Amino acid sequence: MSTPTQTESTSQPTSARLRELWNDYLPYWFMGPMVLVMIMITFFPGAYDLYLALIEEPTLNVFAAEFAGLDNFETAFTRGGALHSFVVTITVVVSALLLESVLGFALAAFVAGVESSRAKSFYRVLFILPMAVAPVSMATIGRIMLNSEIGIIPYVINAATPFAAPAFLSDIPLLTVILLDTWNWTPFMFIIFYAGLSSVPDTLLEAARVDGAPLWRRYVHVIIPYMKPVVFVATLIRLIDLFRTFGVVYGLTQGGPGTATQLVSINIYEQMFINNQITVAAAIAIVYLVLVVALCNVIIAKVGFEGVWD
Amino acid sequence: MPSKRNRRHFLKATGVGLLGGLAGCTRGGDSSGSGGSDGGSGSGDGSDGGSGTSSEGSGDDLAIPLSEYEDADIEWRQFEGSQINIGAVQHPWVSAIKPAVPVFEELTGIDVVWNILPEQQFRTKRQTDVSTGAGQFDVFYMDQVVNQFREEGWLQPLDPYFEDSSLYDEAWYKPDDLFESSKWQAHGGGYSDTWTGLPITVEVQTQFYRTDLYEKHDLEVAETLEEFRQNAQTIHENESDVVGTVGRGQKGYGMNIYILNTFLREFGSSLWTEFPTDSGLDTDGVINAAEWYVGLLQDYGPEGASTQTWSDVLSTMQEGRAGHIVSDANLFWPGLTGSDSSVADTIGIAKVPKPADGQFSPNAFNWQISTSKNARNSEQAFLFMLWATSQPTNTWMHVDNGAAFSVRQSVWENDEFRSRVGENFAEVTLESLQEAAPDPFDRKYPQWGQRYSEELQRAIAGQKSAEEAMTQAASIAEDIYS
Repeated sequence: MSTPTQTESTSQPTSARLRELWNDYLPYWFMGPMVLVMIMITFFPGAYDLYLALIEEPTLNVFAAEFAGLDNFETAFTRGGALHSFVVTITVVVSALLLESVLGFALAAFVAGVESSRAKSFYRVLFILPMAVAPVSMATIGRIMLNSEIGIIPYVINAATPFAAPAFLSDIPLLTVILLDTWNWTPFMFIIFYAGLSSVPDTLLEAARVDGAPLWRRYVHVIIPYMKPVVFVATLIRLIDLFRTFGVVYGLTQGGPGTATQLVSINIYEQMFINNQITVAAAIAIVYLVLVVALCNVIIAKVGFEGVWD
Repeated sequence: MPSKRNRRHFLKATGVGLLGGLAGCTRGGDSSGSGGSDGGSGSGDGSDGGSGTSSEGSGDDLAIPLSEYEDADIEWRQFEGSQINIGAVQHPWVSAIKPAVPVFEELTGIDVVWNILPEQQFRTKRQTDVSTGAGQFDVFYMDQVVNQFREEGWLQPLDPYFEDSSLYDEAWYKPDDLFESSKWQAHGGGYSDTWTGLPITVEVQTQFYRTDLYEKHDLEVAETLEEFRQNAQTIHENESDVVGTVGRGQKGYGMNIYILNTFLREFGSSLWTEFPTDSGLDTDGVINAAEWYVGLLQDYGPEGASTQTWSDVLSTMQEGRAGHIVSDANLFWPGLTGSDSSVADTIGIAKVPKPADGQFSPNAFNWQISTSKNARNSEQAFLFMLWATSQPTNTWMHVDNGAAFSVRQSVWENDEFRSRVGENFAEVTLESLQEAAPDPFDRKYPQWGQRYSEELQRAIAGQKSAEEAMTQAASIAEDIYS
């Protein structure tokens, strides 16, 4: 039996202590890297944005910047036109969400009602296609198609109807933006609603049919209530996504004429990259973030996720 | 084991290759990674392969003989063995000069590394580079933010280098050959007493018209605004599917106001009649100019003129759907007369019209290259800037390599160049450049210029009168400086 060396006598308790530390805090060790990543990608940019919104001008040494209080927020809502861009954004979000939900549901109901499986596949692909187009490409195609001199849409309206085609991008820019977004994103609602419709049990529908419920009653009292979680999730995802809309509108109108289609995202971009007002852009971004997060939380609290997780 | 090592080598090589590719760095005259050559460089790509990378080429292979530079009383080789980084946008100037860069490398022993990025990406990187003091770019493209950068103390004035006899030889460089307007813009548009960079390209506004429609309706090329309006009216009212004129209506400080600024000067006004308290935007001259431009586009322009960008203007004219472009960059010429245009043979070019009692004063825009105070190799950068804008390099780019944006008068007078680009185009451009009045980009120009352009766009869209729009623009511009 050998005598333990000095090294062994000190290393054993150390490694035991380390093992103990490891075991006691095991969940935290596992969570650690992820928490670190989350801090890096969410907390740090958010905190830095808040810092930018509260200083006069960014400096190389972050501690040397002068504190500006709420000046940047005041500038954002006076000269920066933030209030107007919030109104435009809400108009676009509400209108597009309604249109996309209604049209998406209508298309899903239509395809669900088609008997032939070949026709069903054809419609599925056809209706999903616009979603595959990148927003900037959509905007570029839109600009060409809506051009009063060389665009196909004004040409068709002028040639095939008794009406004169409007100048889409200057006479009715907001409506044009909403319609183009609807064209681009209705497929998303269609896919989710179609999946939801397919999951409604035949027994339920059969029972309703046997009870003599007409088609609209089956939708109102059976299908839609059954699909409530699907509708909720689809609407929530699209709502959040609509608040992030940028490419298609910027590509189409650059937020104009004037500021007629200036979404908050476009306003932030212009303040940042055109006006070189980083601090004002940061202030608008902070307000926007708080409002969108608050709105989503209110919706989740009011409507709830019940049924979604089942 | 060997297979492991091979795999490791492969991965290492791939990684290095990818990183190099991602960084977008190219060396010397290597043409890979350069941007498109649209716009004014004409056939700028045509002779890109003039030389190899770095300074390996022998004197015989060089695009321009070294003797063109050796006469200069400049110590070209004083920084031999060093390297400069150039930050540039994807731009025809880059493709036009790259094949000649080995000449500079051979002449000076300085290695040139290019960092070429799309415009918006470049702007962000440039701002980060100079504002954080990183100083990665020794030479970089500079534009409307010149005074903002200058006042922040980021730009290195070039005057100390001009005063250094080992770096500069006035008799050889011939600074008087540069257009006055280009030199003025390189001095911060009148806001700086020192050189903020050296101009590399210039575009000036000209009028474009359809010669076939002019013959058909027996029209004379307009010299005054009233004559122009009548010509536009004649075509608008007598031609189906052809509008009288097109012009930029879209907002943006490089869009509608870039055109309007020509007319407001011709009406006797100027931007910032008293800086920074009186923007001048609500003066009679500006309001008259805005009323004329807005009225022209509303009466004889296309539907939705307020959303037309420069590319819409160009494509409408190329499609043969417009009788004129009232005023726009002379660099449209290759696009209008090239294979993309359905009216290539019937395009005429003339000077921009002016009010009957006004002063001909077309707007112009110069790109320049500058160096920063944080750049590691500013003196080497100056040597490059001097070489790149010198008469031999400029003449070669324009006579032999398809460019058409010279800031040197001698190039526009060069017979070989004139016969290549067309006598009429060259003469109209030269006369316009001699009278050009570029925009003075004060430090907040991007900010108030954007708002001024939004107001003009509202007027073109018929949302408010030109007078209301300009009065509002004046108040916004002055408020931004208050």
